[in-house]
Amino acid sequence: MVSHSPHKSVLQSLPMRTLTTRLTPAVLILLAVTLMVFHKMDALPVEQMRVALTDKMTPVMTAVSSPFVALTDSFDGIATLRQLRAENMQLREENVKLQKWYENALRYQAENQSFRELLNVKADPALTYVTTRVVSDPGGSFVKSVLLPVGTNDRVSKGNAVMSGQGLIGRVTEAGDRSARVLLVTDLNSHIPVTIQNTRTKAILAGKNTDLLKLERLPQDSGLTVGQRVVTSGDGGQLPPDVPIGVIVEVGAEGVFVKPLSEIEKITYVQVINADVDRGLSTGEISTPVDKHSSKRK
Amino acid sequence: MSMAFRADDGWQGSTASMLGRWAMTAVFIVVLLVLSTFPFKIGHFGEIRPSFMLMAIYYWAIMRPSTLSPIATFIVGIAFDLMGGFPLGLNAMTLLIVQWGTRRQRKFVLGQGFIVLWMGLALVSLGAGLFQWAVYSGFHQNFQMGSLKPVLTSVIMTAVIFPLIVLPLSAFNKSLAERQ
Repeated sequence: MVSHSPHKSVLQSLPMRTLTTRLTPAVLILLAVTLMVFHKMDALPVEQMRVALTDKMTPVMTAVSSPFVALTDSFDGIATLRQLRAENMQLREENVKLQKWYENALRYQAENQSFRELLNVKADPALTYVTTRVVSDPGGSFVKSVLLPVGTNDRVSKGNAVMSGQGLIGRVTEAGDRSARVLLVTDLNSHIPVTIQNTRTKAILAGKNTDLLKLERLPQDSGLTVGQRVVTSGDGGQLPPDVPIGVIVEVGAEGVFVKPLSEIEKITYVQVINADVDRGLSTGEISTPVDKHSSKRK
Repeated sequence: MSMAFRADDGWQGSTASMLGRWAMTAVFIVVLLVLSTFPFKIGHFGEIRPSFMLMAIYYWAIMRPSTLSPIATFIVGIAFDLMGGFPLGLNAMTLLIVQWGTRRQRKFVLGQGFIVLWMGLALVSLGAGLFQWAVYSGFHQNFQMGSLKPVLTSVIMTAVIFPLIVLPLSAFNKSLAERQ
């Protein structure tokens, strides 16, 4: 008869495999913390790793998300006849107003061009753009960024301004061959040099991870009021000047807050603005009197 | 509402069927990962952004712990971090803590009905959301209470949508079991 010691140590009775299984999560959590610390210290090539992965994943994401895009679009497409009539009426009224504005714009355009010629102004480079659909919006509740299925192959590069409909929504922070990540103006890390359109007061527009943006580094007694428009100043040379971003909606003790012109939560199509894009290919061109002027000078 | 939940014991069988199950799981995870990054914009509701990865990891930790090992969870988390522009390791850490914590409560939840499973998910989702918000804000040294709102919305979405996601998850578990 073989007798077993009743006081066998815990380690001896625990199979090695169970011990490893129990330790693995702890080791991996520690590894994740270490990676985060290294990321914070900029000791890892995180940007290159991201670009490499998103370049590979963007075609997969486009393919997998296409049925959901169709689903979302069909939800958007459902509107009652009554809503459509109201919208139609509103659009007609708007069209009448816009036609008047168009007449004015043509007049100002001609006037502007003649003034530029008189003053011998050195024109800004022509703006061109690439229009594309947003593939993914991966950051969720924390990181306000979107992925685009265009990259350096389409002449999109780091620093390019990105617009949707009415105004600026962000800028390209990472560009791979076939994908680009856009940091939205609402992100905590977004700081854009801006100008208040009427007063030409300069400030920094900072994202707060909320719907509104905050104007920082304002000069004292800047005399800002609700309703004033905020545009890019072009300082730093990264973004083109005078791209509209938003409108001041709150001036109070807590600061001055700006509401973006574009409904950032609902963006589907965006335009990447690039001053150096070759004309032709898949790109469009924003024709402005400045374009004609600059080509004349060459 | 009471549903009987039985868990599977794990992966067994030949190498070929094991590889098949591995490939199925990998494809399923890629789809979940893409869905987690896809902006569902439905009419006036705006964005609907439930955390599909968290739901799957919670469900598997209880119903079929062998589906995803901690190492696989770590890799998925890192991929999510890279794709989403998160601080590297944030999702990996959160998903590992969720998996580890849920596995410890597995036996308790297994004996209960669906409501307990559901309530458990809601609690885990809230904990994970607040944890990620705190770590993210600490990483950028910028605490904004206003940014808690989208986090809480996502937590509520995750809890509300969970019963719908249980169906494909349980169908997936069944197909894995059949291949065994």
